[in-house]
This record gives sequence, structure tokens and C-alpha cells, in this order.
Amino acid sequence: MTEIVVTGLGLVLPCGDGVEAARTSLASGVARFTELPADLGEGRGAVCSGFNPAGHIPPMQLRRLDRCSRFAWVAAAQAFDDAGLDPKAGGGERTAIAAATMTGGSDATEAFLRPYFERGPAGASPLIFPNCVANAAAGHLALAFGLKGPSTTQLEREASGFAALDQAARWLRTGFCDVALVVGLDGLFPMLSTVCGAAGLLARHGDPEADSGRGFLCGEGAAALVLERRDDATARGARLRARLGALAQRAATRPSDRASALADAVAEACPRQPQRRIGGANGHPRLDQLETALHASRSDWPAPLHPKLLWGELSGSGAQLLAAGLLESADSVLVTGPSSFGGQWALRWDGVKA
Amino acid sequence: MRRVVITGLGAVTSLGRSRETTWYAMLEGRDGLGPLTRLHLPAEPAQLAGQIAWSEPRVKRQTLCETWSRVALAEALDGWRPALEGPRMGVFQGAGTSGLPIPEAYLAALRDGLPAPRMAEAAYQSPCTVTDALAAVVGAEGPRSTIMNACSSSLLALGQAWERIAGGELDLAIAGGAESLCTMTWGGFSSLKAMDPLPSRPFSRDRAGLNLGEAAVQFLLEPLEQAQARGAVIFAEVLGYGASLDAHHPTAPHPEGDGARRAMAQALEMGRLDASEVDLVSAHGTATPANDGAECKAIRAALGAAAEAVSVTSSKSQFGHTLGAAGAAGAMVAALALRDQVVSPTLRLEEPDPDCDLDCTPKLAKERALRAALVNAFAFGGNNVSLALKRWEGR
Repeated sequence: MTEIVVTGLGLVLPCGDGVEAARTSLASGVARFTELPADLGEGRGAVCSGFNPAGHIPPMQLRRLDRCSRFAWVAAAQAFDDAGLDPKAGGGERTAIAAATMTGGSDATEAFLRPYFERGPAGASPLIFPNCVANAAAGHLALAFGLKGPSTTQLEREASGFAALDQAARWLRTGFCDVALVVGLDGLFPMLSTVCGAAGLLARHGDPEADSGRGFLCGEGAAALVLERRDDATARGARLRARLGALAQRAATRPSDRASALADAVAEACPRQPQRRIGGANGHPRLDQLETALHASRSDWPAPLHPKLLWGELSGSGAQLLAAGLLESADSVLVTGPSSFGGQWALRWDGVKA
Repeated sequence: MRRVVITGLGAVTSLGRSRETTWYAMLEGRDGLGPLTRLHLPAEPAQLAGQIAWSEPRVKRQTLCETWSRVALAEALDGWRPALEGPRMGVFQGAGTSGLPIPEAYLAALRDGLPAPRMAEAAYQSPCTVTDALAAVVGAEGPRSTIMNACSSSLLALGQAWERIAGGELDLAIAGGAESLCTMTWGGFSSLKAMDPLPSRPFSRDRAGLNLGEAAVQFLLEPLEQAQARGAVIFAEVLGYGASLDAHHPTAPHPEGDGARRAMAQALEMGRLDASEVDLVSAHGTATPANDGAECKAIRAALGAAAEAVSVTSSKSQFGHTLGAAGAAGAMVAALALRDQVVSPTLRLEEPDPDCDLDCTPKLAKERALRAALVNAFAFGGNNVSLALKRWEGR
């Protein structure tokens, strides 16, 4: 099978922008939760408070972008720079976008609807409406970087990033494209904390902690990966951050079968003990129990790091987990993407070069 | 690569609660547009919609999209209970918004000072919920994909499903999409001046925008050998798809249809189809001034001289623009046209726009030989998808 490699990585997270900020944060284990500013919601969450798009995004474009598209733009710019690629200079028609999001379009939807419900059509903003679709960020990135290949925006709850990477790898293998940008993106907005709070999903006392049963806290950010076929990347002398060893998804139709579905996905993606593990526990029992069951069945494997306990749930819809697996050198890294309802995912990175 | 065929097709539209009632209404030239009653938006100039009028038994937590999708899937299955391995079955769904019933009710309640609805319900009304629900119907434990590419979502869902069956990963895929009306899309398209208060007139000189509609359309895709072995009815063969980005404008298409042309060319290439074999284009055809001319230019550029003989049709003239379901609806129209060798009409096409100088099948259905078809769906963000279908001739 055609080998797929990662040649570029970009991150905008509550711990800061760039690979080094993420690596330091993950190594420190210090959570980034604070009280949310009123314009982003109620309670606590992980905010990209230090994010400053000035100097990255031209002012005329900046005003057109919703919050998560801004994160995605900067993360994508980092990733293309890291890969040594400039699609605008050539190759844009052969460059795909596979985006992943749980909240894309939602902050704009709330911003559009609040004045509409107050004032009717007079309150409707034609500037905001185009951002109300989940694929708005993909469209903005296409314009920003001259990307004209195929595009998808995948919504697979907490594991959306895995689904996006899966589609990107398929397009590379079938020759649909030569380069694929995988980008997970999420932005906080007021109604998100209202919905999650009402559903009893949020940690009310203290920060999220694996197996605490407290619940999760929301986060935001973007994680971007540039993927290429290994032969192409090698031919142009690109630095290979990692090889996609395997990617597997299993879905269960009954909630009680989710743990075995995740175990089956892991068995397929990573039949042998990995050197490092990244997990998707977020502090809510629904995901934590899946990770706990997996760890119990592989107790001789290294204990996973759980980035969502530092950066919050969402914060890249699973793509931040994929990126976290690339931050430290390792022969093999297992990244698990448990999901609260649908497919359960497992991915193995091989030969990671930090 | 395995050959992939459509063996099941179900639909709920404003024209009918089934595939065949919708299709025969289309061939008769019936109009599925009517007064908007789903939403109460008296200040909006446009009040016409392709609204699904009949009600289904409501189940707690089910959105309209899920309810209609279940009805469409039941029709597609036609009583068949697939006895296949769970991991060899997948579900691929496209969505626009899936409606926004809870958030919109919440904001309306805030405005009116009324008790807010249970916001917890919104957490269970993600578009993924439809995908999961359909997977449970057949016991699918393979891939689940929910695509949020706005108006091209469900056509890409068919493309993804084809990819996985052709590649040998799956033995059955449920693919399609659903959309219900919501205030956000109504107010949004209105704010862009993209909605026509009158019934839409795709490809017409005086076209002035779209009408929004509702639909759920579900397909069964499976490998040809399996379909033949079980004696399944075959509607059409799926040959491949193409996808592209315009990188031109957040909402407007490329004026020359460059991205659309590339998507169609890729679908032809992937389907190993010569342009001269394409007799039908089930067009995106929204009736907005920008779309239709650009799409016709793209069809000309993709098909070359063969464009002179191609039939083009827009189902949006009959049940409106169904956004996330539009691609699947367009594919349904093409598959049934290939089956029955008849092109459904583009309603109200009195005076074609010179920019739309193709045979756009004005007002009356047209019987003709149809060998292969392209289906187009385009979306915000300059997102283009084209799917290639071929008539099933028994071999």
C-alpha cells in the first residue's frame, strides 16, 4: 500500500501557538483552564487567550473570518511552512483539504441568529451567514493558500480529526491529490457552554481528570497536518515527521459494545506494543471508561497522555490528539480516538521525528 | 476495483413520501413548492418552500431529518434485512444544518421571555445522530462518515461510499442526506438576496434566486457481484466522482465554472467515461444569477462538443434547494432517469438565458436514450462535487 507521511505540523491551542508551545504544555501536564470571558460562554474552559492573528491574516480577510477559521488559518500556515510548501506558488490544484470540526459554523450561527431573532431580517448579516456552514473554514483556507483540490469537512464528534485524516489518506492513495491538509478546528461560543452545561457534560467542581467522573471542560484551537505520499515527499527532500502506520475505525451499534469496538480498532492499528500513547480521555465517564478498559487490557503498554485534560474537549475535534502524537520522537505512537456515540478510532504513527 | 451499483433508493420530498411518487410527480411536471408554514417569518419577502407537508409519528429526540431518513432507508431496503458482517457495512451521510430546532427555539424563547427548551436535547441532535441511527437499523459496524460540506455534502457521501465499496473494504453502504428548513438558512439566504419570492426559474433569463426545500434521500450501494447473486434490482451503476475547490469566493462560484469543470472532468476520468457517452447532467441549477451561467460554462468546458447533445435538468425547480440533501436528490433524479430513459423537466423555463445555451429540458419531460449521467452539487466555500452514473443494461 502507498505509504503516507506527515511533512508539516501546525498548532493553535490554549497553551499557545506552535509546536514548541504544545510540546512544553504536554510535557508539563499543566491544564490551561480559566474562567471563560463573557463573550465566549459561562464557567470554565480552555481559551486561546494569547492568540493574535495580526501579522498572519491580512486585515481585510480577518474581518470575514469566524473564530475557528482564524485558528485554522494560522495553524495551516505553520503546517505549510513546516512542510516547506507554498501551494499558491504551484500545486494548488493537487492539494486537498480534509477538515474536522464539532463546532465549525456554530459560533457564526449564534452570532447570526441572535440579532435575527431580535430584529428580523433587518438584523441578518450577509457577512456572517457564509460562516454559518461547517465547511466555511475549508473555503477560507482554499482562498488563503490557493487550494483547489478535493475538500471535505467531517463531523464525527470527538474523533472528527481521525475521519478527516482517513479521507485525506485515501485521496493521496488514489491519486486524487498530491498533498493533503488535514485540519481540525473549534472555537468557543456562548451557546456551547449552555448546551453542554444543560446536558450535564461539564465538570462543575475542579478541572477534568481521567476517571474522576466530573465531566469535561470545553476548549478551542486548531491542529493542522500536511500529508504526502512518501515517495513524493522524499523526492523533494522534505523532512518526514512520521509515517502513517495504520488507521482503523470500528463502530458499535450498542453503547455496551463501544469498548470492544475501540479495542478492535486498536488491535488492527497497533498489534504490537507502541513506544508512546496518546489517549482521548476528557474527564467524562463516557470516554474515560473506554480508555480505562483499553488500558486495563493492555496494562503492560505505556500509560497514555490525555491532551484533552489540558486543552479541553473539542480544541481541534481529535486532530489535536493526532498532532500530540507527533510532538516527541518515538518509533511508534498509538493515538486513540474514542467517541461518545459513533465510530471508535485508533491510529499508529511510525518513526516519529520531533 | 469492484463495480458498484445502486440497489436501493428511498426518498421523502415535498412531492411525495416515496421515490416513485416523487419521480412520477416530477415527470408530470408537478410543482412541489408551496406556502412556508414550518417557520413563522412574516417579515421575510420569500414565503415559498419545498416543504414536506405530511407528518410522521414523532419520536422523542428525533429530528425531522432523522425521521425522514429512516422512512427513506426503509424504502431503499424494501424489506431486505442485510445478513452481512457488521464491519463490512458503512453509513455515509451529508448534512447542511440538519435543522437547528433546539438552538432556534432557545433563542426565540429568550426573545419572547418564555421558558427555554431543554438545551440538553441539542447535544443529541448533531447531524451525526442520523448517521448513527441508520447504522443501527442495519447493524452496520463499519465506517460512519458525516460530511458537512453544505450543499455538496450528500453527493460527496455517495462518492465516499463508492470509494470504499470499489476498493473492497465494504459490501454495503447506506449513503445519502437530509435537510429540514430552519430560520438560519432562510434568513441567511435572504440576507444574501439569493431567494426568489416567486417559484424559481433555473437557467432562465429572468431567474432571480432559489427556493429552499426539504428532503431525505437514501441509497444502498453494493458490489455488482453481490447484487446479482442476491437478485437485487439495480437502478444504475456508480462509476466514480470528482471533487474540487474554486478558491475564488466564499459564496459565489467561479464565473467560468473552473472548479466545477475540474470536478466533472475528474468524475469522467475516474469513471473511465468519455464525454460523448454522457447524455444527462443532473445540474446543481439553483436558479441564482451567478450559479446557472457558470455551471453551463463548466458543462461545456468539461464535455466539449458533446455538450451540444446533452440534456440538462434542475430538480430544484420542482422541490426547491434541499441544501445538504441536494446532491443525493440530484443523484436520485439521474439514477431514475437512466432507469426509465426519460429526463425530468426544468419547470418554468420559458426563455433560456444566453449564458445557459444548453438543452435544459424546459417544462416537459423528455424521453430519450440515456447512457450515462453526471450529477453536480456545489457549495459555499467554492466546494464542487460531481458523480458519474451509468445506465444498468443487465451486464
